[in-house]
Amino acid sequence: MSFLEPLYLLLAGAAAVPLLLHLLRRRINVRVEFPAVRYILRAERENSRKMKLRNFLLMFLRILAVVLLALAAARPVGRLIGSGHAPTAIAIVLDNSLSTSTIVDGAPLFRRLRAAALATARTATPTDRIWLVTADGRVVGGSSAAVADAIQRLEPIAGSGDLAAAVSRAIGLVRGAGLPAQQVAIATDGQATSWRRTTAAGDVGISVFVPAGTPPANHGVIVADARPTRWTPRGSVVARTIGADSSTYRIAIGGTGTQARTLARGTAVGDGEVVVRAAPAERGWVAGSVELEPDELRGDDVRYFAAWIGVAPAVAVDASLGPFVRTAVDALVQSERLRLGNDAAVVPADALTRLPALIVAPTDPVRIGAANRALERAGVPWRFGAARRDGGTVREPANTSSKLLDGATVSMRYPLTPAGDASADTLARVGADPWVVSGNRYVVVASPLDPAATDLPIRAGFLPWLAEMVSQRLGGDAGIVLNATPGARLRAPAGIQSVDDAAGQAVPVADGELVAPDRAGVYFLRRGGQKAGALVVNGEPDESLLARLSLPTLQSRFTGLGVSITADGDAWARDAYAGSARRPLVTPLLILAALVLVVEALISRGTGERASRASGRAAA
Amino acid sequence: METTRAPVRADLFDPASLASLGHVEIIARWVVDGFLTGLHRSPKKGFSVEFAEYRPYQPGDDLRFIDWKIAARANKWVVKQFEEETNLRATIILDVSRSMAWTGDPTRLTKLAYAEQLVAALSLLLIRQRDAVGFIRYDDRLRTIIPPKARTAQWRRILHALEEEGAGLASIAPAALLHAARLVRRPGLVVLISDLLVETAEVADAVRMLRAVGHDVTVLHIMDPAERDLSLAGEAVFADPESGLEVPATVADVRSAYRATVEEAIAELKQAFSSTGAGYEVFTTDVPFGVPLRKAFAARQRLP
Repeated sequence: MSFLEPLYLLLAGAAAVPLLLHLLRRRINVRVEFPAVRYILRAERENSRKMKLRNFLLMFLRILAVVLLALAAARPVGRLIGSGHAPTAIAIVLDNSLSTSTIVDGAPLFRRLRAAALATARTATPTDRIWLVTADGRVVGGSSAAVADAIQRLEPIAGSGDLAAAVSRAIGLVRGAGLPAQQVAIATDGQATSWRRTTAAGDVGISVFVPAGTPPANHGVIVADARPTRWTPRGSVVARTIGADSSTYRIAIGGTGTQARTLARGTAVGDGEVVVRAAPAERGWVAGSVELEPDELRGDDVRYFAAWIGVAPAVAVDASLGPFVRTAVDALVQSERLRLGNDAAVVPADALTRLPALIVAPTDPVRIGAANRALERAGVPWRFGAARRDGGTVREPANTSSKLLDGATVSMRYPLTPAGDASADTLARVGADPWVVSGNRYVVVASPLDPAATDLPIRAGFLPWLAEMVSQRLGGDAGIVLNATPGARLRAPAGIQSVDDAAGQAVPVADGELVAPDRAGVYFLRRGGQKAGALVVNGEPDESLLARLSLPTLQSRFTGLGVSITADGDAWARDAYAGSARRPLVTPLLILAALVLVVEALISRGTGERASRASGRAAA
Repeated sequence: METTRAPVRADLFDPASLASLGHVEIIARWVVDGFLTGLHRSPKKGFSVEFAEYRPYQPGDDLRFIDWKIAARANKWVVKQFEEETNLRATIILDVSRSMAWTGDPTRLTKLAYAEQLVAALSLLLIRQRDAVGFIRYDDRLRTIIPPKARTAQWRRILHALEEEGAGLASIAPAALLHAARLVRRPGLVVLISDLLVETAEVADAVRMLRAVGHDVTVLHIMDPAERDLSLAGEAVFADPESGLEVPATVADVRSAYRATVEEAIAELKQAFSSTGAGYEVFTTDVPFGVPLRKAFAARQRLP
């Protein structure tokens, strides 16, 4: 039983009044002349025990009445015995995030969550409306059997999903059901990283089940990157691990299954970084993984990456581009990231004669006309606008992993405008204007690569950016690596027509949108049937942090009238409908108080009335 | 045909309302007239007759005593009244102690006022029956002693006696009863009107003694309704005006037990007087005078 106005419970202190009146002998100042005093005296003498018992009973009833009224004033809400539950709209939010696959006491934690959810679903009656909402956003509604079946088939995903969003969705569903009793039942592992936001439940009841116990110590790979993405053929795998102690790692390449070849093995310290440099024999787009020894949470013991491996692209640099570009290319050639040759060119726009090319805006604004004509001749669907010197900061799209350009300042630029079918990737913007765009075998930069126009040439990110542009966009295979979490939706890069599924079958891209598979892994992007990049799906690094919120803290993540939390799955399943079984107890308490007062009145007056009737008969 | 309008039944009026209408003498006459009107038959059938006078017919008069000759001749209904010769001597004993001068509600008569009205009515009734009526008032001593006489002036004497002082701090009912026995040598009727806040055993012994010498005794126990059911409120120190006994009590707590005790005491009184052969009736002061009058008159009717 809980109280909506608990302060009114203080009124129960008034119960002391009849008690004090009973216990304390009061001074009576009123004197009444009454000839028949002898009968009062006799009545008191003859009925001493009876009157004491009666007075105690009356005192008890009066105290009980006061207590009941105080309880009623506090607006209690509780469950009435044998009242069952009213038609309820209930949404079961089942946490199937990666962390719930942790082995606890010999079995995945998810099984306990699922068992409790199943029990809850099976408790539903035909008058209820029931849904299952999962952490990855799936919603299943219908009969209790259908929902139970969906729960039965549910498995943990490879990522965190969005539990707060799932709860909000569940609240919306039950609110829209039009039933008076609305309940959201949440089964979760209480992982701290999953419950950062506070959800307002309003008048929708919230009941949360968090299994008791301490999460096990966990090792996990939270970062696995191929750097650069295009290996020529030399490259590095950078991995970051977490854990309380060291663990053995294995870096594999050439696939994500048994066909994978071990690239390196070693021991990783608890929270540390592993960097492995290699020049594999494989060529083309390959998948790789960083694996740790299995522990209680298997899902984060492996993390995937993808890389393109091939010979370094040969590039020619136009002499008019200035010292920064030339020096950068020389450095890349020395580090075997590039070769000198004519596979691609780095040229000012007005000197463009062929593709592929990294096209840089001309330094002199008078050359803009020639530059645009050269672009037109080369079939590049972008044009330079009039020079602007209002300055700005470069911003890369949110899904860009390397962020090599982000934060660079631009003092002079020629805003890029599309000409015709300018199907291209905008790699960076200044304000709302594209600053770096990339399409089929070209990359266009809207400013000269000169410190007078932008500080990019003197930033640390310039060298790897230049290598990435030449190797990935111009090096004959303009592939791209998209990193995503399971179930995430992201825009497909330009020209990508299909993406491999888990079985390696190409699935066409619809409406330019990709949906990351639920299973972690590497899924190759295809253009014209050829691999043109990879979609690398890994769980969120936060999922490896198994620390849980305390029950009070987790309860504070919900605001509303009825929020309960328990570590007992049976009780949670049993009480999932408690919100509807719990009813305001004001009326029953008032009725009970009235009954107590009636009994009190009967006891205090009943005998007298009988005596009056008897005397009336005698007088008659 | 000339008819006479039926007199008002004052004996059935609320006592307090009736008492407020006039002096005890007038009220007593109304009560007795009304009482007699309510009797459908002559109170004493076949008593010895010696013609006395005519009087107009009143509803309730026995049709046997209508003078049909006068009715036929003068078209007027008159009844013949006969002077009865009787040997009955009645003595009314009235308790005028301080406890009698109490009422639980100012709108009601005190027990004494009610009893005095009853004495006036009863004595008038008996005198009209040609009975000799005596009267004794007592509290802590005998205040008034009027030997029984059947004269009309006797009633006046009784009425005057009612105005004498009283309100003593005790009731000597046994002494009053025994003195009544000494007043009347022959067996007669003794009517005791009291609130009986005395020792029951002593009164019963006195009654038994009266019964032993052949007197018919009727006890009219007068109670205020508040004494019957303790219809007061709150809590107070209840004080006996005669003995000074004080008892603190909360009315709500003791009411039910009090009522049971009063009923028990009444039952004991009834048992005590019944065992002596005396009549006993209890009345509250809100009961119309006709009720106790009928009880007392019934006792007289049982006598020869």
